[in-house]
Parts: sequence; C-alpha cells; structure tokens
Amino acid sequence: MRQRPWLFLLPTLILMSISAFVPLMAVINYSLHTIFAGSTPEYVGLQNYTDVMGDPQFRGALRRQLTFSLIVLLIEIPIGVGIALCLPRKGPTVGLSLVLLGIPLLIPYNVVGIVWRLFTQSDIGVIPRVLSMFGYKYNVSLDASDAFMTILLVDVWHWTPLVVLLAYAGLQAIPQTFYQAAEVDGASTWKTFRYVTLPKLRSVLTLGLLIRFMDSFKVYSEPLLLTGGGPGNATTFMSLFVARKAEAYELGYAGASSIIYLYVVIVMSYILFQFINRPPEGKRA
Amino acid sequence: MLRDLYLELEAGSFVTLLGPTGSGKTTLLRILAGIEKPDQGRIYYDGIDVTALPVQERNIAFVYQQFVNYPSMTLFENIASPLRVAKEKHSETEIKRKVEETAELLRLADILQHLPEEVSGGQRQRCAIARALVKDARFIFLDEPLANLDYKLREELRTELKQIFKDRDGVVIYATPEPIDALTMATHVGFLHEGEILQYGEVRDVYRNPSNAAVGSYFCHPQMNLFPCDVESRENAGCLLQVSQELKFEVGLDREKLPNDRYLLGVRPHHLFLSDPQSRMVPFQATVELAEVVGSNTELHLRHGGIRMSLLMQQVEQFPVGKEVTSFIDPDHLYIFDIESGAFVTRTNSSSISSSSSSR
Amino acid sequence: MARIELKSLEHRYASSRKGKSSFAIEDLNIIWEDGTANALLGPSGCGKTTILNIISGLIKPTGGEVLFDGVEVNNRATRNRHIAQVFQFPVVYDTMSVMDNLAFPLRNRGHDEKEVQSRTGEIMELLDLNKLADMKAERLNPAEKQIVSLGRGIVRKDTVAVLLDEPLTVIDPVLKLDLRRKLRLVQRELKLTMIYVTHDQHEALTFADHVTIMKDGAVVQSDTPEGLFLKPSTPFVGYFIGSPGMNMIPCENNSAGLEVTGSPLFIPKSIGGKTDNLEGSIELGIRPEFVETSIKELPDWNRFEIRSLDHAGAYQILTLESGSIRIKSRVEDHFVSKEGDPVWVNFPTDKTNLYANGKLVTP
Repeated sequence: MRQRPWLFLLPTLILMSISAFVPLMAVINYSLHTIFAGSTPEYVGLQNYTDVMGDPQFRGALRRQLTFSLIVLLIEIPIGVGIALCLPRKGPTVGLSLVLLGIPLLIPYNVVGIVWRLFTQSDIGVIPRVLSMFGYKYNVSLDASDAFMTILLVDVWHWTPLVVLLAYAGLQAIPQTFYQAAEVDGASTWKTFRYVTLPKLRSVLTLGLLIRFMDSFKVYSEPLLLTGGGPGNATTFMSLFVARKAEAYELGYAGASSIIYLYVVIVMSYILFQFINRPPEGKRA
Repeated sequence: MLRDLYLELEAGSFVTLLGPTGSGKTTLLRILAGIEKPDQGRIYYDGIDVTALPVQERNIAFVYQQFVNYPSMTLFENIASPLRVAKEKHSETEIKRKVEETAELLRLADILQHLPEEVSGGQRQRCAIARALVKDARFIFLDEPLANLDYKLREELRTELKQIFKDRDGVVIYATPEPIDALTMATHVGFLHEGEILQYGEVRDVYRNPSNAAVGSYFCHPQMNLFPCDVESRENAGCLLQVSQELKFEVGLDREKLPNDRYLLGVRPHHLFLSDPQSRMVPFQATVELAEVVGSNTELHLRHGGIRMSLLMQQVEQFPVGKEVTSFIDPDHLYIFDIESGAFVTRTNSSSISSSSSSR
Repeated sequence: MARIELKSLEHRYASSRKGKSSFAIEDLNIIWEDGTANALLGPSGCGKTTILNIISGLIKPTGGEVLFDGVEVNNRATRNRHIAQVFQFPVVYDTMSVMDNLAFPLRNRGHDEKEVQSRTGEIMELLDLNKLADMKAERLNPAEKQIVSLGRGIVRKDTVAVLLDEPLTVIDPVLKLDLRRKLRLVQRELKLTMIYVTHDQHEALTFADHVTIMKDGAVVQSDTPEGLFLKPSTPFVGYFIGSPGMNMIPCENNSAGLEVTGSPLFIPKSIGGKTDNLEGSIELGIRPEFVETSIKELPDWNRFEIRSLDHAGAYQILTLESGSIRIKSRVEDHFVSKEGDPVWVNFPTDKTNLYANGKLVTP
C-alpha cells in the first residue's frame, strides 16, 4: 500500500517534532510575550522584536558575528583547498594523512576551549611566551583584538580540516582525463588549477562554504571558555549573547533575538548559495 | 502518461511493446505485471481481475534491463531462488531438476557453480532470464533485456530467445525500442506513441499494413523514409505524386482515393536503389551524407535538395562523404499517409493481404 | 600529421580484479599511415585503450618502440608529442566559452592573438560551431562538447594525430549520425591521421578506411571494411564482422572435394577450390548473404531443412540444418516458406573461403 513508507517514517517524524519543531514553536511563543520569573507571561505582540532591533548591544553582537563568520570563510576555504591539493592521492600515506588531519574535528568543543585557554594564559601559556620572544605583548584577557584573533585562530584550527576533507573528496572525483587534456593542451600548473580544478570543485566548495557559514554562527563553547565573551563584548558572538539573555530570564527578548538570528542565517545562506551555485545547464535558444 | 488503452493478448503469444523512449512502454509493462497500479482501468489474467492483486501473488516473472542477479549466490542458487521462495514447496531433487533443465535451455549448464561477477554480461543476462523461466510462470515480462549487451550478443540472444519462448501456453510481453526485436522474436506487436497504442496485431500484418505514418516509419528497419508530396490528377486516370522537381511518381491510383492536395509519402529504405536494370524506377540525384555500415548492410544517408533519406544496401560498401550519386525509388512500394493525422490512406503495392489487425 | 608506427610493442600490466587474469600486449606491429582514417576494433579488454595511452605517452610500454614519422618517441613527454585525444566522456573547460576552449592550446604556447583568432575562426567554420562561439562550454550538450574537444585537438597545426576513445558512447542516438558525419568530413578535409578505438564494429566500419581488429592483445586482421567483410583472415573475424556472422562448416578433404562431417553435404572440387595440399582441420566459411537458397531442387545443390525463419524487415534470415550442420542464409523479404520445409543451397566459389587450422587459405 502506498501508505507504508509513511508508516516507516513515523517514528523519526515524531522524534523530529519533539526535538526540533516543538521547541521552535515554543521560542516563537516566547518572543511574542514578556516573561518575568514567577508571573504569568503577557502577550506583547511584536514589541520584543522592535526592542531587540533597536538595542545597540544586539546590533553589536550581530555585527561581530558577521565579521567573524566572513573572516573565517576567507581563511578556512583557501587554506583547506590548498592543503587538500598537497595531500597524496594514492598509496599507504593517504589514510594516515587524512586521519591526522581529522583529529581536531573529533575533539569536543569544550575541551578545545579549555585546552586553548591553557595555551593562551598570560602566565603559563605557550603562546604569550613565544610571542614575547618576538617582542609582542600578547594578552588575551585584556586586549580586545588579541581575543578576537585568538578565537578566530581556534576556529580555523578546529574546522579547516573539514574543508580539507570535503575538498579532498571533491578532488578525487575529478576524472583524470581532464588533467590529461590540460597536459596535452600545454596548460601551466596555474592554468590547470584555474580552468580544471577550481570549476570542478565548485559544488564541493559551495557545500563547504554553506556548512562553515552556518556552523560559525553557532560558535559558543570556545569563546565562553576561553575569553568568557570578553574582554568586554569583544568576543560576545550571537549564540553567547542570546544565551546570556535567556539566563537572565529575559525570555521574551531572547526568543525574539533567536528568531531574528535564525532569519539572518537563512537569508545569508540563501544569498550565498544563489551567488555561488548558478545553474550550469541553463536554457538556451 | 498512458491513456485509453484496450488490449487483449492471446495465450501462446509473444507480444512486443514497441516504441521510442518515453512512449510509455515500460510503464505499461510494469502496470501489466502489477509493479505499478493504473490510475484507472482493470487488468485481467485469464479472465480473472488481478488489478488489486499485489505482484508477489500473481504468478509472473519479470526480467530487467540491468540483469539483476544475487551477487553472493552461485548461478545455480540464483536460478533456484524463485523456487525456494514459492508458496508451494518443492523438493530438493525437483529444484535441481528444474534448474538444470532451464540452465540447459539457456546454455548455462557448465557454469552453474560460478558467481555472477565471474561470468560475462551475456551469461548474467541469461541467468536472469533463467530465473524468470524456471518459475514456469504464466506471464513473463521483459523490459529491454538486451539493451546493455554488445551488438553481437544481442544478435545471438535474439534468436535464442525466440526458440526458448516458443511453444508456451502463457504470454510473453517484451518492451523494446528496437523494431528488429519485434520482427525477429514476436508473434504480435503493439506500437506505443506518446502513451497510446496506435496499432496492435500480428507482426507481419502490422509491418506490411501500418495504420499510421508513425507506426510505418518506426516499425521498419531502418526507419521508413517519409516525404511530403503534392498530388495532381492525370488525364488517363491515375495521379502524379510529386516530391520534388526530379522525384515524381505516376501511379495508377484513382484521384478519389487521394482527395487532398498534399500527402505524406512513405518509402522503405530497401526500396531505394543505386541501379535500375529494368528501367522502371524513378531516378534522382542525391549527395551522400554518410555511409553507415550496420552489420552486413550499408545504410546510405542521402540528401536530395532539402530532403534527407536513407537507402539500404545489402552489402558492405564505403562511400566518401559528399559523393554525388544517382538513386532510384521503386514506385511499386509506396505508402501514402494523410499529412495532418498520419493515418494510412493507400499504397501502390496492392498485393498486401489485409487481415485482422486492430488499429485505433 | 604524421605516420604512426608501433614496432614489436609489448606491455604487461598486473591486474588485481578478482577472477580476471593479468593481461599483456606482445610483439605488436601496426602502421597507421599519415592522413588516414583508422579504427582499432576489438572486444572490451583486448588492450585497445592501453595502446592509445602508449601512443599519447601516458603509459610507458615495457618493450618495443613507438615511432612518429620514423622517429622513436618512447621517451618524449606527453605534452611534446602533440597528440590530440577525444575521450569517452567529453572534456571541455566548463568556465570558458567555446571560442576560448579552442584558443586555449594556442594561447598556452604563446601564439599571437591575431593568429589565434584566425585559426579558431577556421576551425569553428569547419565544425559548424559559429553559432555557439560565445556560449559557455558547460552549457553544451554532450555531442557539442565532443565536437569542441575535437576542435581543440586540431586547432594546432603541429598536431601529429587525433586519437578517439569510443567518443560516441554517451551521445544520444539521434545525434550520433551528425557527429559521425562531421568526424568523417573533418578527417578528409584536413587530412588528419585519426585512430578511432571502439568495441562496436558499426562505429569502426562506418568511420574508418582501414580497420585493425584486435583480440587478446594481438592483431587479428588489418584491412579495409570490404576486405574484412569479404575475406576475413580467421573465423573470429568472420564471426565478429557482419550480422549474422560467417557460417563456418567443418570439412574433411578427400580427393573429390570436401566432405562435411556429420552431414550428407558434399562440396565438389569445382566449388571448394584447390584443396589438395590442405592439412589439419579444415573449415568452409561463407557469409549468409552469399549462400544461394532455392525452394526448388537443383542439381549439385545441397539439401537443408529450415529450422527457423527470422524476419528482419528488408530480408529474412533462415537457420538451416543438415545432419549436425547448422548454417544461416539470407533471403529476400518475400521468400515464402515455413519451418520444416526443405530448401536447396549452393555455395558460390568466388564467395566461399577456406580455412585451414583457423587461417584463411589464399589461392
């Protein structure tokens, strides 16, 4: 019977509604009310939204987040592709290199945060030590730009391997015949990269771009553990900002900012996707 | 996708569902087998309504294009598998006997102990066919089973399949886009075009008496040439069919049979020639676009002004591209179709035997 | 363009596929003359693609020589061999326009822009690509991509040869005809040395003036399509070329002619030809198209019974049996008969081939 596939999907659908759909509805509900601890929620319509949009703190956090995400992309994608190009394609070293590269991906976020915190501590950390040898006074808890850079560095260390793996898979999928043809056509290494490798990696890179963009919006544990969001708000990114508001029981505000946050991610992702992934086999006269 | 179909297939027949890709033949095949359900209408096996019966409960066999075999079982086990899962239990000796019988028929007896990946594509397809046959199913459905095989293998299997499926009392239904399959193997053919069956009947009959230009041109190996022609009356009865300045045919047909001014003229490629020893054919100049060697024949693609046509030579010969040749068309084998609807109007060869082909 | 020669070529490569033995090319000698349309035909796995890769330099042979116009090129790098290759799956630079695709090989070697423009214009004219000149290559259909691929190969005047590896595999059947015609036309116009590799005899015989048939790493026969058809040098060629394949009838030599084992058939000397010195296993080969079939009994003709009639539109193929011998014959579409009927069959001398120990006997 036609309904059988649906029956098989039912358990998953139920689970999904519980863990994703229902909370989303709850958040939207919060965003339309003012909630104080203890008392009954008061319906305020879109008041929270206007409050949030008008709040310079919110706008600051959003700006910081977007800057962070864009810089992350600009660094991780080229480096990731570059490393993938250098990796061996065949033989016993392949497995080894992929595993070694993949290790950062396996480490839990909070562990990452704590370990890097140790690295960056002004008294015992290795980074301030090394940098002072070059005459640079590095202080992650007092200097805003140091803190921002550090979180960036941590993210790059943590997530570039993902881009490498995606790019590597993409490279493996390019048929040898294209490189043979480029060889026969007398193309230089750069030209081969530009006209064969890069176009063929397009879909994989789009994927990498989208994944990293959306993921970078979720950055939470590392700034929380490393810098506590500071100094000041220097490293208070969106997730941290909203979580703090929710902890302070400003659930209406937190709800509204969450929804705005979600909307921004959806719109930016859509724009990115459209921009990068123009349909190749278009209609022709 | 499919519309308004009415088909009656006789026991003991080998029916081909012939049509180009997308004409609906695979869909029809799957509906008849029970793999898909029709939106409307009913299907009867031996008078029993089976439309709602799921495919596992009908006694049918299906052979796919991509020769499906269980990769981890030997050919013997593969062929035995339908017998093992059947409702009626078979004893081990009976299974062995049936498998060996079927394997003998398909020339697989020596390799029964091998795995599918160890044997050739042709043998794998034979194994898939053996699995279908061993069930002794009343209805056997085949979906372009030869499509993924080499040219020579297809040739061999075609003649083999014809012998294998002879003398059975069920129905074999075979979907294919190749007219040669229908011509070689089948007793009956149903031509599908855009979801409709344009004509159904015995193979020889449909071939000789197409009801429509679509049927006539497709069910011809190679495809029939079709050109628009103008009709003029002649004083001494008869008509002049004019395709171009040079290509004119005086035929003894009554003008009443051809009331319109323009018709579609059909000529089979083997009724075009490069010589005319009895000087009775119509000559014209043409340029060779390509000489295609197909099997033991050469299909000469010609261009006469703006008209493209094919000439079938029953030998292997090469022609340089662009060569000018004088060709001839035999006026005794012309088909005339209505230029709007494609419906068959008349023909110049009157020695056709009309019989019971049903057409729409 | 140049004359390409393989001398005593040898190549061994280990194979790791389960159930398939490792394969070799041994003592291969082939000459492809300058400016000719050639085909390398053989079943899958006979070594054809390996040969192409050896010619273009992508594989180094374990033995033997590859010569271009008499000069050995075994150690020359691919990019210096100037071999153009058209692959099974179209290879174009997606992001470039058709014109830029064609200009690419010229620009890479530093030709000045005026030259580039004029030469690409010529090629586009020849290949009928003018309408598509500015279109991005990724938007073309596979047939058009193959033509661009070909164009890229011939745009350089110092191209030595064009190698085609089953180029029509992914092309829609409707467009194949046009592509075949273009290939033939271009070859003749520009007098290119072209080597077309395929397992499809239809492709090979339609394209080439000269066909080399390979099996199991060795050349079986090298001839024109008509030659292969009329005088196949081994029963394998007779079977592989033509549809249906050649009939092979095992015979025994006696003083009066050929006796066919297992059947009352007898072929008198006048037809079988000089058979006195033939030893070993003898076979008579005749194509179904040349078997003369008659419903009426005729003197000296042999009697067969019809086992099956296969209709093929323009003609019919009869499967005939006499004792343990089975042959096929081609008859006209209006030949009226049915299964079980007797027919009388003749093998005309000039169309009959004799094979001794699997090789054609030439008189």
